[in-house]
Amino acid sequence: MVLPNASEDLSTEMEVDAFRRLFPLRYYECHLVESIRPDGRALARARDTTIALGAVASASGSALVKIGSTTMLAAIKMEVMTPTMESPDEGCIAIDFHMPPICSPIVRPGRPAEVAPVVSKQLSDTISSSGMVDLKELSLVSGKAAWMAFLDIYCLDADGAVFDAALLSATAALSHLQIPAVSMNDDGKIVLMSEEDGERLAQEPVNKEKRKLALRSIPFSLTCILYKNYILADPTAEEESIMETQVTIVLDSSSQLISFYKPGGSVLAYTPAIQDCVALTRQRVKELQSILDEANSAMEVE
Amino acid sequence: MAGKAATTSTTYSPSPTTLKTKAPIFNEDWVRPDGRGFHQCRPAFFRTGAVNAASGSAYAEFGNTKVIVSVFGPRESKKAMMYSDIGRLNCNVSFTTFSTPLRGQGLDNKEYTAMLHKALEGSIMLETFPKTTVDVFALVLESGGSDLPVVISCASLALADAGIMMYDLIASVSVSCLGKNLVIDPILEEESSQDGSLMITCMPSRYEITQLTVTGDWSTPKINEGMQLCLDACAKLAKIMRSCLKEAALGSQE
Repeated sequence: MVLPNASEDLSTEMEVDAFRRLFPLRYYECHLVESIRPDGRALARARDTTIALGAVASASGSALVKIGSTTMLAAIKMEVMTPTMESPDEGCIAIDFHMPPICSPIVRPGRPAEVAPVVSKQLSDTISSSGMVDLKELSLVSGKAAWMAFLDIYCLDADGAVFDAALLSATAALSHLQIPAVSMNDDGKIVLMSEEDGERLAQEPVNKEKRKLALRSIPFSLTCILYKNYILADPTAEEESIMETQVTIVLDSSSQLISFYKPGGSVLAYTPAIQDCVALTRQRVKELQSILDEANSAMEVE
Repeated sequence: MAGKAATTSTTYSPSPTTLKTKAPIFNEDWVRPDGRGFHQCRPAFFRTGAVNAASGSAYAEFGNTKVIVSVFGPRESKKAMMYSDIGRLNCNVSFTTFSTPLRGQGLDNKEYTAMLHKALEGSIMLETFPKTTVDVFALVLESGGSDLPVVISCASLALADAGIMMYDLIASVSVSCLGKNLVIDPILEEESSQDGSLMITCMPSRYEITQLTVTGDWSTPKINEGMQLCLDACAKLAKIMRSCLKEAALGSQE
């Protein structure tokens, strides 16, 4: 054990920045024993979170979410499809997660990030299994037409806890979604109802006025890092790169477990650690729920 | 357009696409959809440091046109690249799927990528970072017309934010020719019915042009008039960009 000792001796002589780069793990351990993180947070604290609804004017629903400097932009475009034979009364939500080259030095054009499709799949699974949206609400004309909601999430700045931010932006965009008023024309096609058309009775209105989805339990998530006996909530990109074992827990508003994800890592998760993570997530869900409610009520006032 | 055909076969957007009657642009008393004067630009908003993960970045908003540009590097060139005495510039412009009125058109724009590269190349002191590459990546969050000029101006600001040495900031403005009228900084609707367009990217304090593109139907006096309009607007735009940089510098000092 020459190296750790060497670094310990050096820690008194070297500049802090140099020490941070040369011995990142040691640097973190020095902080962790004091129960604090380099950015000044307590171990269990998540970063400041903001939600701005309606950021994209050309979409039916959109949200810009920031957790620390991790930034996500989610927007929903509504299109019309023919429902499948098996479920003639149901619409569909297509979720896609993108990490464009602007978001991180790791991603380059033509070489997409490996995590993007993984997060994409996790998001669809989480949102569909949480039963947040009743797909029957997206039906227009049974067996003939239904809404296809394209929910695209763009990561604008990747600084850790990418899934948490992506899920929050997705659910926020869904809560902001306004289903447009449409009618069916003579060709059996669905068209938007503009104000002048409303008076023309030749068209049969299918969805008379703009409406919001009735969302049932909303899923929220928290990612924690497990390192030795420490649990670090809502890690930054730097923390994620240094301490590799992560646990992502998704709970809904009534604290029911929706998903639990631990992709490998060198630290084994024992029951007490898992229980602690769940407890942290339960707290975080309350926090996020109130932030989302606030954002939504601010929209209603306007 | 092949991609579009594939998506429309299963789903379609309910918005009316062809029914819209065109505005009588050729009239003398035609007013622009957003109420601007013909020679009036949209209010420009710039902010640097939009993306923490990047060496430098900027966000620009002109009306409904919203773009983010990140700059990475100077960093190691790709392994396959030959040795080079001077630095390399690598650009990419892409669009979000929800940026255009119809979903998912032109996600990776090769033409804009090439034009962004050519527009910036002349302003950067490439010899200050030999053997390495500077990456300039742009993402159009929302397309509201005059996308390329906004991307170019924003990219120049992002380069400045990253501390890349340049001869001058680059400002870019376009005009559309609609019948007898020249309209500056056109929005999407105006661009779709234009007879011709002219775009200038220039370094205003040196009074040098790095790129000039003219497409469509133009007479010589019209070109002169259009160029003068653009150059004046570029000078004003550069002032706004400069004040944004100053603000950011003051903010970081405090």
